[in-house]
Amino acid sequence: MISYIGRRILQMIPLVFGISVVLFAVIQAAPGGPEGALLESGRFIDPQVIEAYRQRLGVDQPVHIQYVRWLGAALSGDLGISFSTTRPVAEMILDRLPATVELMASAFLLAALVALGLGVFSAVRQYSLFDYLGTGFSFVGIAMPVFWFALILQLIFSVKLGWLPVSGTETVGASSLLDHLLHLILPAVVLSFRYIAGWSRYLRSSLLGVLRADYVRTARAKGLPERVVVGIHALRNALIPLISIMALNMAALFSGAVITETVFAWPGIGRMFVQAMFARDYPLLMGILMMGSIMVVVFNLVADILYGILDPRIRYE
Amino acid sequence: MGGQQDHERTRFLSLTSLALVALAGCGSEGTGGESPSTSGSEGRKILRVAYEREIDVLNAFTSQNLVDIAFSMVEGLVTANENNEYIPVLAKEIPTLENGLIVMNEDGTVDMTWHLREGVRWHDGEPLTSEDVCFTWSFVTGEGSQTYNRHEYLGIIDCFMPDDLTVVFRWDGVYGYYAGLFEAVLPEHILGGKTVDEIVNYVPYNRGPEIIGTGPFKFVEWKSGEYIRVVRNDDYWRGAEYPRIDEIVWSFIPDSNTRMNAMTGGQYHYGRLEPTQVVEVEGVEGYEIHLVSSNTFMHFDLSVNLERGRTLFSDPVVRRAIFHAIDRKAIADQLMQGTVTIADTPINPTSPYHNPNVFGLEFDPPRTRRMLDEAGWFPGPDGVREKGGERFSFVMLNRAGSADRIAIAQVIQAQLKEVGIEVTFETLESAAWTQKWRSGEWEGIVSAWFLPADPSITGLYACDGPNNMTGLCHPELDEAMERSDRTFSFAERKPLLDEAQELLALTARSLPIYYNVVPELVSTRIGNYRGSGTNFGSFWNLWEWTLR
Repeated sequence: MISYIGRRILQMIPLVFGISVVLFAVIQAAPGGPEGALLESGRFIDPQVIEAYRQRLGVDQPVHIQYVRWLGAALSGDLGISFSTTRPVAEMILDRLPATVELMASAFLLAALVALGLGVFSAVRQYSLFDYLGTGFSFVGIAMPVFWFALILQLIFSVKLGWLPVSGTETVGASSLLDHLLHLILPAVVLSFRYIAGWSRYLRSSLLGVLRADYVRTARAKGLPERVVVGIHALRNALIPLISIMALNMAALFSGAVITETVFAWPGIGRMFVQAMFARDYPLLMGILMMGSIMVVVFNLVADILYGILDPRIRYE
Repeated sequence: MGGQQDHERTRFLSLTSLALVALAGCGSEGTGGESPSTSGSEGRKILRVAYEREIDVLNAFTSQNLVDIAFSMVEGLVTANENNEYIPVLAKEIPTLENGLIVMNEDGTVDMTWHLREGVRWHDGEPLTSEDVCFTWSFVTGEGSQTYNRHEYLGIIDCFMPDDLTVVFRWDGVYGYYAGLFEAVLPEHILGGKTVDEIVNYVPYNRGPEIIGTGPFKFVEWKSGEYIRVVRNDDYWRGAEYPRIDEIVWSFIPDSNTRMNAMTGGQYHYGRLEPTQVVEVEGVEGYEIHLVSSNTFMHFDLSVNLERGRTLFSDPVVRRAIFHAIDRKAIADQLMQGTVTIADTPINPTSPYHNPNVFGLEFDPPRTRRMLDEAGWFPGPDGVREKGGERFSFVMLNRAGSADRIAIAQVIQAQLKEVGIEVTFETLESAAWTQKWRSGEWEGIVSAWFLPADPSITGLYACDGPNNMTGLCHPELDEAMERSDRTFSFAERKPLLDEAQELLALTARSLPIYYNVVPELVSTRIGNYRGSGTNFGSFWNLWEWTLR
């Protein structure tokens, strides 16, 4: 197992390098440049100012030279300086990471709990009213446009009922732990909705397959209570495919949720990514995208390792 | 199958919407309709602002955003009020020929004296001096300062400091826009000794904690992605009674729907909305909606930089004919729901330099047809006009995501089709659109300019104007505009700009459509709000705002 992990980590190096080349090329291939930010406001601009700006940022150089410069700095741990804010990219990402991790982790936890309940009950009571409702709920969750759902929840719980704040992470000047948790509820619910829908469907179908297996029939024949049969014997195996899906989804924990963070003015990585994209803030874009890519690669490995741990039939040489 | 699914999905969404909206309607005890409490945990008066974006930096000269947040802390020699007039702030008065503070030298140079107010201190207690003003000039004019109007400062060839409170700028000639410069002054004792590049990248000043000014509020905190917080400057030069608010929190809420919900949910005292949201917030208790006429104006331009553009648009008669086919009133009344004012000239009616006698081309499609016939453009077999084998067809460059501009372009497309002109669209994402627009390599475009309070329009329309992207050139117009820039006298400048505005209309250089309106939802608890559409925004007089 250890040699397998070591081999996989070694394979990651050229993979991440390849990703960085592709990302850099794609970002640079997009028309327009960071000078667009100078012109966004519609004010008159001296063309010399635009040229001086491009020179200062180094974007007047050929793309391959820009890439080599970026790579050299990145290898020494320097992700560069953001074009728009003049702050170090690594510092900006670290600044936003806690908010993103907090939101995503809350949403994951909520989604895992609800999806587990929904999936198990739907499978155990297949074709019951609960199953139909759960199935319906899942389809709604998958189909619901996030921005629409978020705005409707804001309208109900914030504007009409006044129970929860509309956006942000705290009421500045009157913040407390409770205040912060209240701010967290709406974005976490919205974000979890999609995961609940997907995960509960996976779990339902996986559990249905397992419940028909011979060893489950044997367990039942031995007179074990249904709670033990489902909860101990069936669920563990049914969770295997779900856990690998969850592990892959975990990569998103660090790259944030673009729409949810924007609609709820949540200060996470996803929202910063949108700003960086519109501003053609190349160093910041590269920083965020590389972090997201590395997370995907790492969590792919985690998913594979978890497979091996959970399923005794899988052995890595 | 897909259609069936779509249908079911739409039906389901509609039903869910209805159910949720019905549930929303059931709530009656909410906070909606009440503006937020003014006091914080210690009974402080906290003004809460729902701000539409996270700004880039607080340096007023290098920021590429509206710098109204910075102006709560940083002051300049002047500011602009809601009537597009410059008024002195750190200067005792604005130099004019009449008050003797402008002296014309025999060699053609001009000496302009600015007297600074006494007793003004930076937030760290250091006195404001003429050295700070000259330092600001040297920074802005330095290579790479990134100041958007740096070229306007380049006319100042020297800065003298006869004493601590007197600054004399020596200009190389007469520049009518002088009064609008130095909207901010930089602290020499903080930034002095650094190169221009170092200042541009100096994070402690760009984001705090070293951002200091002489203004009514002092920087406290910038929480990335969330808010900027400033508190009352107890040592403010206007006197102990100012400012009348203890603290301001500018929360960044980029999504306009969320901003509206947050406002109507009672979380904020002030927020800017979209014109299309006005009907939704009318009558919300505890707030007033103000339609602030902005110095931004929407316009439709035609370019002659490309071969096709030259063929189609070089003749001013043809341009006039095109403009006659566009119903600006319908755009203003229907698309923008009557919230905007039709524009006839680039200069906003709130400006004393606006020429009220210039009228845009009225909507008159029969006239368009007649004029195009006379110009030799006759309808072809497919209804599109032709001349010498050339079809009257052009491409409109659209910016993706700009719903208002695209909607206007669609109206223009439909209305021009009625008179036999074909318009196709090329839609590009914002940054790509901007690049192509600046290159001038397009045929038709709907875009917007943001003018400062100073009315100079030379850069936009002069033949070699840095912002003239149309390739159109009229020497007579150039002369009127350039002469208007070369006088200090309102009495001389006004008729020249009147003439320039008339010539702009006569030569059909561009079709002004409407003056943008910024709907500002303002809590009735706020006092002394005087909404302004200049680059200082509505916070220009924050020192006197009150909060009940």
